[in-house]
Amino acid sequence: MKKIIFLLLAAAGGLALAQTNTPVTQAPPHQPTEISSDSADFDLNIHRAIYRGHVSVIDPKVKMQCELLVLDLPASGGHLQNVNAETNVVIDFTDESGQTHHVTSARAVYAYSQVGSVTNETVTFTGNPKVESAESTILSEPLVWDRAANKFHFHNETMIFRQNLNGFGTSTNASPIKF
Amino acid sequence: MKSNLEKILFALGTVIFFIAVADGHGQTSPLGGLKDMHATDFTSTEYFEPPDNMKVKMRLSGAEALPLTNSMLDVKQLKVEMFGTNGNPQVVVRAPQCTYSYFDHVANSSGPLELIALDGKLHVAGEGFLWRQAAGSLIISNHVRTTIAVDIFADKKTAL
Repeated sequence: MKKIIFLLLAAAGGLALAQTNTPVTQAPPHQPTEISSDSADFDLNIHRAIYRGHVSVIDPKVKMQCELLVLDLPASGGHLQNVNAETNVVIDFTDESGQTHHVTSARAVYAYSQVGSVTNETVTFTGNPKVESAESTILSEPLVWDRAANKFHFHNETMIFRQNLNGFGTSTNASPIKF
Repeated sequence: MKSNLEKILFALGTVIFFIAVADGHGQTSPLGGLKDMHATDFTSTEYFEPPDNMKVKMRLSGAEALPLTNSMLDVKQLKVEMFGTNGNPQVVVRAPQCTYSYFDHVANSSGPLELIALDGKLHVAGEGFLWRQAAGSLIISNHVRTTIAVDIFADKKTAL
């Protein structure tokens, strides 16, 4: 569930990637994810939950806010297929290096599909996506996180590196986000 | 009186256990006594379409039902259970009170409601709801709070 938020919000893969790259250890107890909203619609035939108004998702590692959140769950078991977050999407998360990131966009879409042996799993941010960290701000339209490949794809990106005032690394050409 | 009771039973579906108690006024009510009938511990069961027509799809039950006007029932302790074709429970919806229309199968209330799925790992609570049984639609109007204690991004069985 941590990933739900993470994927949704997608900010930068820190959490999911951390899970992917971390050596196998005893998994800590799963902390519940809390979703709150003004109202919600549940369609039990097509297995869809729609949260509306002041939607807040709180997870131990990721926090998200938006105005509309749509979850499509598989009909009879399997992987979560589709998640949409819309309107004033705000995501805050901490990557594996402990650095915090603040992502904003108008929309975030998580999509998962598996065709044969090929798995496609992406989170696409559109609507003036912006990733802010202690070191930099990155603007990209769209911003795509390919979770299956563990890569971020920036398009026509603009990177703004901040002056190192607090001991953070100085400007470099590398992405400030630790993948 | 009996015919009115049968109407209620028919509207609710297949009744497993239904006790109707009519007070003395019910025998002479100009409305045929329907509004005076008081049902307790009733259950209505809906089955899947063939070939799974012997398997329970949904079970609606209540601790008490008091007929109102316009084909409505005031239901106490509403419980709706939805099952998969394998017989496993998928969703349970509970509400301490609601108004249920037994002709169009719609329930609503301004009071609290909770939904439980994923073997208790998904819990939804809120206040004020509209439940359309035929459409499988549940709208919670206020203060919706969802707790998910399972990783639904993992490759394992999940179902709502």
